Amino acid sequence: MGFDFNSLLAFIIFGVTIGVVYGIVALGISLIYSGLDIVHFAHGEMYMFGAFFGLVLAHNVGVPYPVALIGAMILTAILGMAVERVFYRRLTRAGGGYTVAGMGMIICGFGMSVALVNAAYFFFGAEAEPFRANLDYIPRLTFPGDINVPESYVLTAIISVLLMTGLHYFLRHTKTGLAVRAVAHNKDIAYLMGINVPLMISLIFGLACGLAAAAGVLIGPMQSVQVEMGYLMLMKAFAAAVVGGFGSLPGAILGGIMVGIFENLGAAYISASHKDIYAFLLLILVLMFRPSGLFGVEAKVKA
Amino acid sequence: MLEIKGVHAGYGNLKILRGIDMKVQTGGIVALLGGNGTGKSTLLKAISGLIPLMEGEVTFDGVSVSKLKPHERMRLGLVQVTQAKEAYPAMTVEENLVLGAYTRKDREATKADLQKVYDFFPVLRERRKQLSGTLSGGEVQMLVIGRGLMASPKMLMLDEPSAALAPKVVLEIFANINRIAKSGVTILVVEQNVRMALILAQYGYIIRDGVIMMQGEAKELISDPAVKESFLGGSVSDTTKALRN
Ligand SMILES: Nc1ncnc2c1ncn2[C@@H]1O[C@H](COP(=O)(O)OP(=O)(O)OP(=O)(O)O)[C@@H](O)[C@H]1O
Ligand SMILES: [Mg+2]
Repeated sequence: MGFDFNSLLAFIIFGVTIGVVYGIVALGISLIYSGLDIVHFAHGEMYMFGAFFGLVLAHNVGVPYPVALIGAMILTAILGMAVERVFYRRLTRAGGGYTVAGMGMIICGFGMSVALVNAAYFFFGAEAEPFRANLDYIPRLTFPGDINVPESYVLTAIISVLLMTGLHYFLRHTKTGLAVRAVAHNKDIAYLMGINVPLMISLIFGLACGLAAAAGVLIGPMQSVQVEMGYLMLMKAFAAAVVGGFGSLPGAILGGIMVGIFENLGAAYISASHKDIYAFLLLILVLMFRPSGLFGVEAKVKA
Repeated sequence: MLEIKGVHAGYGNLKILRGIDMKVQTGGIVALLGGNGTGKSTLLKAISGLIPLMEGEVTFDGVSVSKLKPHERMRLGLVQVTQAKEAYPAMTVEENLVLGAYTRKDREATKADLQKVYDFFPVLRERRKQLSGTLSGGEVQMLVIGRGLMASPKMLMLDEPSAALAPKVVLEIFANINRIAKSGVTILVVEQNVRMALILAQYGYIIRDGVIMMQGEAKELISDPAVKESFLGGSVSDTTKALRN
């Protein structure tokens, strides 16, 4: 097989697009981590529920794809906030991180993941469903060298950039965003500033779950939607978060892109049947040589 | 302004405060003194609501606040600055100050207060675009006091504003606390620096093992033999003696 520069470029373009989606899920995991000091192990299921909500809205209700995307984000945000309020709040109030409650939170997250998967089997069935989205109004991109980028990839890139800019603007330039950052750094002080801390925690959870849902609806038209899809996404998003530097928001996106590229190149040039291994290979390499992540800082500086 | 009746509080099952009664009148400065680990910070947290009361009552401005969350108490004008001197290191000086005014809706007055804080602490104006994580200890102390002021408090509780600062900086901060009090904010200040605190304050409480051991006019406390014995000892000859042993 001769080396073909054009196909390398294509693999990179696809890798970046998929990687950005990993990054969006990782962004939510990082957001929750910096806000509550917990790693949310049921986040893959939020992604899965988001995909199904989008699917139901688009197919059964019949709304246009962008409306389904927004609707899925809102529904999943509500689901996430409810789960946090009812199941996690008591544990996170007792302390996250390395405390006993923090340990309990990890187990609770796994439990929630299993519970949500089963709920999804009940509601959505075991079949993998194709996500048929009408994306005719999105232009297909053609890069020099006959690289064709399908609509769903173009859309993913556009939406991802919008979401990231929106989140950045919210966190950096609005008063509520300032409050979210304050809560992420120190809850007691945030309380003393008059910030409604429990409300901000709900908001953080809602945002993170909404982002996961967006990723689910974006991936939908590229792959099919199925109940078990959350597990692998969690692992890859997790790898993205660690590669980028856990808790760092820009790191999550960059980590996601790294994972996406690495995985696509691995599949193309090493072996396509082991596609899912490369993310973890990268994870292990990063952990061996730069445990704080490629873009992370040595100490934990949040928000 | 603030009335504390029979307050018991602590952490989990661990009781630290065992029946505290205290009153802070409107205007002026009240000092809360005591050795390490006697429960001073715990008392402030119980007043601001960061820890729940086990027993007793806290009344602020005639309203019982015992059941309110910290952010609700803060909205009544009861503002605490913690001992940890925590500014938000990843935010600029000005973002920190703006955060102090988080609950306020009166934009013009808030802007005027920001200038007032900068007038109290000119160094903060010079550093306003700097990340607060890069400030010196004294500057951070000024920042957290300034941030407390941005909430336009009726009462400001300060937890050891002089801790770990050079004498000259302490003097500057105490002078500013005095000016803040003169501007109409009631102050409850926790201090280890007993002599300075009693010069600054009009009234003092001394806490030991979670109970108020002694209270009185600052002038009287400072010359009280028992206070002298336990807190104001440490003349040069005492220190020399202790070091030789
Ligand atoms: N979060 C906590 N959990 C459990 N115990 C605590 C906690 N914070 C403080 N304590 C304990 O409560 C007691 C009183 O602490 P507190 O912080 O009120 O002392 P303090 O008078 O402010 O002392 P210092 O002058 O050293 O700040 C101490 O024995 C301390 O170990
Ligand atoms: Mg203390």
